[in-house]
Amino acid sequence: MEAIFAFCVGLLTACGLFLTLRGRTFPVVVGITLLSYAVNLFLFSSGRLLINGATILGQSEQYADPLPQALVLTAIVIGFAMTAFVVILAIRARSDLGNDHVDGRNPPGAGLPSDRLKEKN
Amino acid sequence: MSLFWILLLPLLGTVVPLLTERFGRTVCAFSTAALPALALVLVLLQMPAVFDGEAVVATAPWIPLLGLELSVHLDGLALLFAMLVLGIGLLIILYARYYLSDKDSMGLFYAYLILFMTAMLGIVVSHNLLQMWVFWEMTSVSSFLLISFWNHNTDARKGARMAMTVTGLGGLALLAGVILIGNIVGSYDLTAVLNSGDLLREHAAYPVIVILVLLGAFTKSAQFPFHFWLPYAMAAPTPVSAYLHSATMVKAGIFLMARFYPVLSGTELWFVIVSLTGLTTLLIGAYTALFKHDLKGLLAYSTVSHLGLITLLLGMGSDMAAVAAVFHIINHAIFKASLFMAAGIIDHETGTRDMRRLNGLWKYMPYTATLAMVAAASMAGVPLLNGFLSKEMFFAETLDQSSLGSLSWMIPVLATVGTAFSVAYSLRFIHDVFFNGEPVDLPKTPHEPPRYMRLPIDILVALCLLVGIWPALLIGDLLATAAGAVVGGDLPDYGLYIWHGFNLPLLMSALAMTGGAYVYISREKLFTFQSQFPEANANLIFDKSVKWVMKHCATFIDWFENGSLQRYSFLLILFALVLLGLPLIDLNTTAGLRPQIPVDAVMLSGAALLAVSALGTVIWHRKRLIALLMLSVVGLIVSLAFALFSAPDLALTQLSVEVVTIILLLLALFFLPQNTPKESSPRRVARDLTIAAIFGGIIGTINYALITRPLDSISEFFLANAKTGGGGTNVVNVILVDFRGFDTLGEITVLGIAALGIYKLIARMGLFKPTSDDYGRPWTEDKHPMMLSVISQGLLPLALLVSAYIFLRGHNLPGGGFIAGLVTSIAIIQQYMAHGVDWLKDRLKLDYQKVIGSGLLIATLTGVGSWAFGYPFLTSWYDYWTWPVIGEFEVASAIAFDLGVYLTVVGATMLILANLGQHTTTERARETEHQ
Amino acid sequence: MQHWAVLPILIPLLSATLMLLPPLARTIRRQRITSMISLVLMLGSALVLFHLSTEATQLYQLGDWQPPFGILLVADRVSALLVLLTTVLATGAVLYSLAGDDNQGKYFHSLMMFQLMGVNGAFLTGDIFNLFVFFEVLLIASYALLIHGGGKQKTQANVHYIVLNLIGSAFFLFALGMLYGTLGTLNMAQMSTRIADLSPGASILAEAGALLLLVVFGLKAAMMPLHFWLPKAYASASAPVAAMFAIMTKVGIYSIFRVHTVVFGEHAGDLAYIAIPWIWPLALLTLVIGAVGVLAAPSLRTLVANLILISAGTLLVAVVLLNTQAVIGGLYYLVHTTLVTGALFLLADLIAQQRGQATDRFVVSRPMKQAPLLGLLFFIGAVTVAGLPPLSGFVGKALLLQAAETATQMGWVWSSILLSSLAVIIALSRAGTNLFWHVSGNKTGTENARPIQIIAIVLLLLASPALVIFGGPATEFAEAAALQMQQMYPEVQTLIAEGQP
Repeated sequence: MEAIFAFCVGLLTACGLFLTLRGRTFPVVVGITLLSYAVNLFLFSSGRLLINGATILGQSEQYADPLPQALVLTAIVIGFAMTAFVVILAIRARSDLGNDHVDGRNPPGAGLPSDRLKEKN
Repeated sequence: MSLFWILLLPLLGTVVPLLTERFGRTVCAFSTAALPALALVLVLLQMPAVFDGEAVVATAPWIPLLGLELSVHLDGLALLFAMLVLGIGLLIILYARYYLSDKDSMGLFYAYLILFMTAMLGIVVSHNLLQMWVFWEMTSVSSFLLISFWNHNTDARKGARMAMTVTGLGGLALLAGVILIGNIVGSYDLTAVLNSGDLLREHAAYPVIVILVLLGAFTKSAQFPFHFWLPYAMAAPTPVSAYLHSATMVKAGIFLMARFYPVLSGTELWFVIVSLTGLTTLLIGAYTALFKHDLKGLLAYSTVSHLGLITLLLGMGSDMAAVAAVFHIINHAIFKASLFMAAGIIDHETGTRDMRRLNGLWKYMPYTATLAMVAAASMAGVPLLNGFLSKEMFFAETLDQSSLGSLSWMIPVLATVGTAFSVAYSLRFIHDVFFNGEPVDLPKTPHEPPRYMRLPIDILVALCLLVGIWPALLIGDLLATAAGAVVGGDLPDYGLYIWHGFNLPLLMSALAMTGGAYVYISREKLFTFQSQFPEANANLIFDKSVKWVMKHCATFIDWFENGSLQRYSFLLILFALVLLGLPLIDLNTTAGLRPQIPVDAVMLSGAALLAVSALGTVIWHRKRLIALLMLSVVGLIVSLAFALFSAPDLALTQLSVEVVTIILLLLALFFLPQNTPKESSPRRVARDLTIAAIFGGIIGTINYALITRPLDSISEFFLANAKTGGGGTNVVNVILVDFRGFDTLGEITVLGIAALGIYKLIARMGLFKPTSDDYGRPWTEDKHPMMLSVISQGLLPLALLVSAYIFLRGHNLPGGGFIAGLVTSIAIIQQYMAHGVDWLKDRLKLDYQKVIGSGLLIATLTGVGSWAFGYPFLTSWYDYWTWPVIGEFEVASAIAFDLGVYLTVVGATMLILANLGQHTTTERARETEHQ
Repeated sequence: MQHWAVLPILIPLLSATLMLLPPLARTIRRQRITSMISLVLMLGSALVLFHLSTEATQLYQLGDWQPPFGILLVADRVSALLVLLTTVLATGAVLYSLAGDDNQGKYFHSLMMFQLMGVNGAFLTGDIFNLFVFFEVLLIASYALLIHGGGKQKTQANVHYIVLNLIGSAFFLFALGMLYGTLGTLNMAQMSTRIADLSPGASILAEAGALLLLVVFGLKAAMMPLHFWLPKAYASASAPVAAMFAIMTKVGIYSIFRVHTVVFGEHAGDLAYIAIPWIWPLALLTLVIGAVGVLAAPSLRTLVANLILISAGTLLVAVVLLNTQAVIGGLYYLVHTTLVTGALFLLADLIAQQRGQATDRFVVSRPMKQAPLLGLLFFIGAVTVAGLPPLSGFVGKALLLQAAETATQMGWVWSSILLSSLAVIIALSRAGTNLFWHVSGNKTGTENARPIQIIAIVLLLLASPALVIFGGPATEFAEAAALQMQQMYPEVQTLIAEGQP
């Protein structure tokens, strides 16, 4: 199982990073979200994997490492805050700069009709 | 102690002129002169002691760790220079009083001048090399201010910048040199350094030291090839030129060489570099000076050539040459200062410095003319004047040179040639300016300057004569002690006589005289010859080269930091990839010994689904809505994975966060294009795929290697103490609100800040509000579908109840403030969707900013509460109360803390979504930025 | 029970929170007053903490939990010094903002306080995950502050800044996973003792984690090639924010100091100083890039932003030299550079305002209204930052030059540091002459700088002469701090030992 788990983490990382390397804000955001899934799984697994264990006292005879779980919880929340901010920033960037390219400038010929319209006025 | 005052007095003196400026020019001048004069007196008082060879030193600690200490000393060399710096400085102050016009800010000028004087004085009296360097750099800085004093004209600015750059370069080299010396000697104390000459000369780093130190000296003293800055520093007011280029600034370099002469000289390297540089500079300077039509230009280049002469002497390596060098330092200072001042007067009275227009001034200002002529004669080395004596010594020394081996005969010959040229330009200075017909349309009709403006020149010229006639009597002792300090041992016996009998030096002088005269007479030919060469304007060249450097820096930066995030992220990831990957090469066995979990169909299918949807997100990332759906599937499976691997809290959290995130991204799609254009080139895509894949592979490998290895962690403690210490059975929750509550406090702070930031973003957002998607399909008009509104209204109380339940059980079962908060917000958001912003605004009177604030406040105060009981921040307490109906119920401070979490989460989420949601509806936001 | 160590985190948190609530939230005036009061309180507590730290390292067990299980704050000399420095810088920035910048958008004072909380927390915490949390706090606050005042450039710079840092944060968590997964603890002191006895396989994974942390910290510290976000972000931020940001790169450097020269220091067995060989070339390259950027800068703000790069490079050099002298020089230089660059950002803003259309670009412009005053301030700032005597720059520089031991070290370190200083001298002399003297006409603007702004700048600049005049005590403190930091948290070790049964 560990192998499959590790594979999935690796895959998520790869997908996330590929999307973060795109040129438009939305894919980048999606990519970062994927990346954060990978990160959370990775950090979680640093306490090792355990099936039918528990972190509630008295519910099972074998306990999972609760510390990484707590860390991941914190990470999830922070990740959520960051994602939210960057999403809104993407929107703000489009309304300020007239397009959704991460560098705020459309590569010549590219971009959507509405974008070019925006850039004119 | 009084030694320190030698430095302190002028230092204090810098503010005097600024204070006394308002009382008129004369008062200002004299008050300014007062403190330096006092310092000069102090110096003179030390004279006997110095002559008796006593060590006159005073030190005080400053920065021991740096080896830097306050230390002032006076030995022969320091004494001589201190007298020159202060003495001539005082004359300059008097002179400037008349030279400066009413437009110039006298106070500022004097302040700069005295600052420079202090710095220069500091160099010469320093007993600690680092301190000497400190003052060295201060001269560069203050001279920058002086040269650019008339900053409204471009030449002044450029000249100042050039001087600053060149001397700055030298200064840095000198610093390196000094620290090297300090490393070798183990101290920056001058005595220590001067006593370790052999140590230094034999050290491997000796050549480096010599080069660095000489770099400092040559740049300062305008030696070839660094001589070019000096003439352009002439853009300064003449008093400045007279000061900087006779006795001070340019002499600092000479001083440096003299200072280090005992320890650094005496090797082939030193002789070759120093003597050749000096000789070259001497010739170039003398030759160029002849062709300058500008009075100050002529004097500038003559300064260059005389500095070359002194350098050459210091490079000859015989003690007698050193004596000659010191002697010429004195003489040059005297006659050059007076010449500059004379030139200033001429400029001042005629309004021009162009020798093609200045002719026959003898008629108009005979007195000044006489003075100038005597000084010029001294510069040419005419007998009975001080210049003659040192020049004779110089010739004598050139004759017994062997440092160039069989070519050594060239030195005296070239020396004579150089001197011939200096005779020629001196003649030109005299004849062109004061005779040679009538002046050519001068701006003003010249006349004698005010008496006291001339006084400084009177004094200096008198000195020229007196020293020239009774050298031994006047400066014998001073010269001896100074030279002694340079040689660092016993001096050879020499006599300061005017008449040494008929000998080769005399012959050389005669040759130089006649040759110079001939050159001057046949100057026209020379001029025409010279005019064939385009005149190189160092200022322009320098400016061009600096501009060139800057331009190329700019082009490089534009190319390197090209503002493409994709490049930046790529480099970041690549860098991480390298650092992560290399260690793994040494990892020979990936799998650890830990027993692994057997695979079953459910897990397998889950993993497969995850893989598919993750890849799907990538493949369809241009169809943003589809990508979003895929993404939500991934999130779902991730939370299932948490559930599977015994992390119920994580599963719940992940799930609720997932929902909110997706809602957020959906809202975002309203403002952003629904599709991503295809713009990445295949190469770019391939590149990104590769790096992403490799990185993923590495992370996967590490992860596998990690989780298959046993771990000895601290978490036993948490399981053991959750109930007893934290009063909860849900260990994760106890860790969050108790063991590591501080993290959680930080975490909700982050959430709160994010909300505030997002509010700022939205409040300032332009009115960009698409009415249709990219393909012109209008957004639905039916804003609040009937069904939705009815159902959701029923759902709200239920949802709130659920969140309350999740919240309360959090400490003992999966749940807690954070999840509860998200559930609540989701419920409220649903109302927004169902009924629209304003419908809710009227019913739900909530200022989310306040909710966040109170949430954070409650959490923090819960923590602070424990202070009352003498415990550290965030120490928890709990107790069990029996409540009617509910039964036994635990009351823990953790609950209050969790309440803070809950409120912050609700507030933050709502502040984000509600504000953004507002923009999607036709109603505009009511509150705006700025209260 | 003494709470000094936690106050630098709590005071800003509380005041920021209170400023979100009525009655303080209502008017900017109330927020200003609150802000100033809390700054005074923080200065006070920072000074006390500073004083206490010179007697004994202040340890604070949050939640009264025995380390390594609870989170521990460690206020030794270095942390206390940096907290004090941060507070002074913030005081300058906030004072300046009172002239009106703080009213260019909502929540300025709250966000400033949150920023302070984050930075102080990062300096004080002894727990690696808690360090992550405080990094996020200071980052999110900086994101929000960077767009303060609005404008296209800010938004644009922010996009780059945030995306890069989000990737950075993800890497941080990966690294933490690797470190916890091998060392099984989060307390830095305990980590440092556990590294040496890792099994070969595990130690390689830990190494990977440590090196990944270098990427994370390097990103914050603007180490080549992770510096790209900095120039635009700093140059476009509003003046007080930019000034406050002067401390942010230092947080990264500080973390490298702690993690890569102490935790993975000489006691770390095979993993001793693993990151150092990587930092060496990058430190020098950072210096070079900074110098090139300084020469290339078209405007004063960009120039100062690149000065930050140079200072980052210099400090990284101080890290890799790995000797006490270097740390002394580094600490001294850190204080000096943070304050003077902060002051220069503020000054650049005033200059831009008084030059009308030309703003702070190096082109001909109308003369400034208060040219003499601003000129004097600029001159002082320039001399300081260029490392010219008699102001503080040269001491730090000289200390670092002395710290280079071997011939190779001298060759590289000296040439890069000295040449970059030359570049700075050239660039600043051009900048100064162009900004102040290359003027057209004599019509000046009407706006005078507000006294409070001048006071703020002077406050920050005053540190420079003070650092020189009291150079003796300053360097001696730095020496004590350096020696203390090079040890492996002895006090924490004993505290942990007490905990073991």
